Amino acid sequence: MKIIRIYQCEDSVEGIFTAVYVAWAARYGHDYIKLQIKSEDGSTNYELFSEYIDVKKDSALADKVAESIRKKISVSAYQMVVRAALSDHPCKANSIYHFLVRGFAMGAKVVDHLSDKYVQDIFEMNRRVGNDSHYYKEFLRFQELENKVLLAKIEPKCNVVELITPHFADRLAAENFLILDVKRKIATVHQANNSWFLTYLSNDEVEQLLSLAESQQDYEQLWRTFFDSIAIKERENYACQRNHVALHYRKYMTEFMKKN
Amino acid sequence: MVISESMTIEQKLSILADAAKYDVACTSSGVDRKGKEGMIGNAVAGGLCHAFAADGRCISLLKILFTNECIYDCKYCINRTSNDVPRTTFTPEEVCSLTMEFYRRNYIEGLFLSSGIIHTPNYTMELIGRTLQMLRTQYHFNGYIHCKAIPGADPELVEMVGWYADRMSVNLELPTADGLKQLAPHKNRKHILSPIRQIQSGIEESQQSFGMMGGNKGRYWHTRRQIEGKSIQQKRLEDAQNNISQKQSLLQNPKFQKSDEIRKKILTGWEEEDTSKALTNTTRALTRYNQFGGKRGFVPAGQSTQMIIGATPETDYEILSVTEALYQKFDLKRVFYSAFIRVNEDSALPVIPGGPPLLREHRLYQADWLLRYYGFDANELLTKERPNFNVFLDPKCNWAIGHLEQFPVEINKADYYTLLRVPGIGPKSAGRIVKARQTAKLRFEDLKKMGVVLKRAVYFITCNGQMMYSVKLEENYITNQMIGIKERLPKNLASDGMTYEQLSLFDHQSIQIPATQQIQMIAHS
Repeated sequence: MKIIRIYQCEDSVEGIFTAVYVAWAARYGHDYIKLQIKSEDGSTNYELFSEYIDVKKDSALADKVAESIRKKISVSAYQMVVRAALSDHPCKANSIYHFLVRGFAMGAKVVDHLSDKYVQDIFEMNRRVGNDSHYYKEFLRFQELENKVLLAKIEPKCNVVELITPHFADRLAAENFLILDVKRKIATVHQANNSWFLTYLSNDEVEQLLSLAESQQDYEQLWRTFFDSIAIKERENYACQRNHVALHYRKYMTEFMKKN
Repeated sequence: MVISESMTIEQKLSILADAAKYDVACTSSGVDRKGKEGMIGNAVAGGLCHAFAADGRCISLLKILFTNECIYDCKYCINRTSNDVPRTTFTPEEVCSLTMEFYRRNYIEGLFLSSGIIHTPNYTMELIGRTLQMLRTQYHFNGYIHCKAIPGADPELVEMVGWYADRMSVNLELPTADGLKQLAPHKNRKHILSPIRQIQSGIEESQQSFGMMGGNKGRYWHTRRQIEGKSIQQKRLEDAQNNISQKQSLLQNPKFQKSDEIRKKILTGWEEEDTSKALTNTTRALTRYNQFGGKRGFVPAGQSTQMIIGATPETDYEILSVTEALYQKFDLKRVFYSAFIRVNEDSALPVIPGGPPLLREHRLYQADWLLRYYGFDANELLTKERPNFNVFLDPKCNWAIGHLEQFPVEINKADYYTLLRVPGIGPKSAGRIVKARQTAKLRFEDLKKMGVVLKRAVYFITCNGQMMYSVKLEENYITNQMIGIKERLPKNLASDGMTYEQLSLFDHQSIQIPATQQIQMIAHS
């Protein structure tokens, strides 16, 4: 029996692509290869009869993988894979690897091959990330700080902050705004009439941003008033409301937050 | 009438949002618009729901009345002139700053502006027009605006608003002209239909001059086009020709095709629609060319309407026929239904035990989807003899059980619109099936993962010539099985006198009719 090789990689698009490159280059046989995301605290449930290989992130290798997905499969397959890599699914690295194995064999039509397990997985993760980023376009709330800068805090399950920022950059082009992912300690910063960038924050910086609040709370109060008046009492239906806005989205939503 | 001048903006907002809450449409869909330099905002064709209120309805737009002062006395309306409620009016500046500040904080997708009738329809329409003009030109708002056209206002004023708004709607109020006469004595069906026609022609003219920026066709139109297998250009050309040839035949023989069917008069009530002036009006809709709105086009997100369900004794068949006629003749984007809520004490209003007829509203929405996305005709779903929906089964299951001769359908061969008619398969899963079967023969396990609801579909499909397990294609058997499946109704509907029990084979005739349906039946007899 051949021993299973498990490649462990970092939780990022680059990290996963690097592992794809390394695993592929080993020519070990796709059926005996698994990919796994390294857990942050270093604790892993090790499996018996397998060999663990640690993969260091290498942007040159990751670029090669990205380039050949776009060329040999399709741009839409590339988008699907990148989105899947942003999901919170524990097996995403492995699914991406095996999806790509099929993709390089089949070409562009792999994305329609929905009766295959790994294609289904990628499809499902893609849908999940797409849904999550759609919801955050809707449910994200900005606060206006003293200096007119808009600040939004979110704690998304999938890593959507990069996916939603272009939407807000187009919409609020003339505003300075900052979208903070509290859990992952990353933020996108947009300057008025300029481009935006992603930045990694230290614990102190996150703490500092979290302590800021709306400078004048008039409009937050007006919004709560509107939110309460618009509901029809005869049709009250909290279960339906929960179906539409799951509780985990509500943490930073003005209308659900307690008044300070 | 209490008219208060010195209210804070919070008090005004509370009153005028409360007064607007019975309006149904809160969608922000239908137009894609990128951000623009010097402006704030964009629009997304799919629409975004920014919040959900305690009743589970989506809040997409800042939905407010400009004023709740009203000269009309519609019996069902909380703002009727004979009611003693606090009255107030926004200033255009207040509406603009609320919209802008809410929009910046990502609370809303834009503005939904409706209004009571203050002084005259013209006065009201002009106030609304001025507010929209201010919002677009002085506050540089580039987001979504939905605005009501006030029946009875001059066409010029309606047109002005149309250049600033993305979507416009005219409330049909009640499904038929008779109902309107009973409950809204000051309103007139003719005045309601003519702005709808004007906006429709305006959208068409704008489409011809500006392309897609001038509004695209509704889902109903596209579904019919796809079923007929025509391109957008072909269908548009055909529409234009039909319109001309219809007019010619009208001129030659003004009394042609006389018929006593209700469907011929369902919209107007007072005259046959084929020869109706209000419906075949051909005057130019647009008198000025887009001097306000930049490159936006005229009502680019199309128009919609809404009607109250359950306040007057129309059957579901009549309501659905009205809906279909509206889609066919006015090319509406959506028709909204609003379950009647008894906010006023009035002897002309029905008392419905068990609260607003929410289940009925739900069934009508289901049927509306079948018309627009699935290519069903109103005649297929209901008939004169069986004019109301089955409370226990959704309209699609009900149709399928009545048409077992068309089943089972082979998943690996049937075309898209045949697949769509199978209960448990929707537009998304049908699309996936059509794509996926090009690479591999599909099995039942695959279908489940593609989003097909197998517990419904299983009676109506075969995969590679075989059913999942042997089922009798027999009406009573399948009906009982279907009723046994718990339908995922919106949570508050389940208390509407409904019980879900697994019925035995023999007692299916003793289905109890809930109180709300009984009332309707009494009203009809």
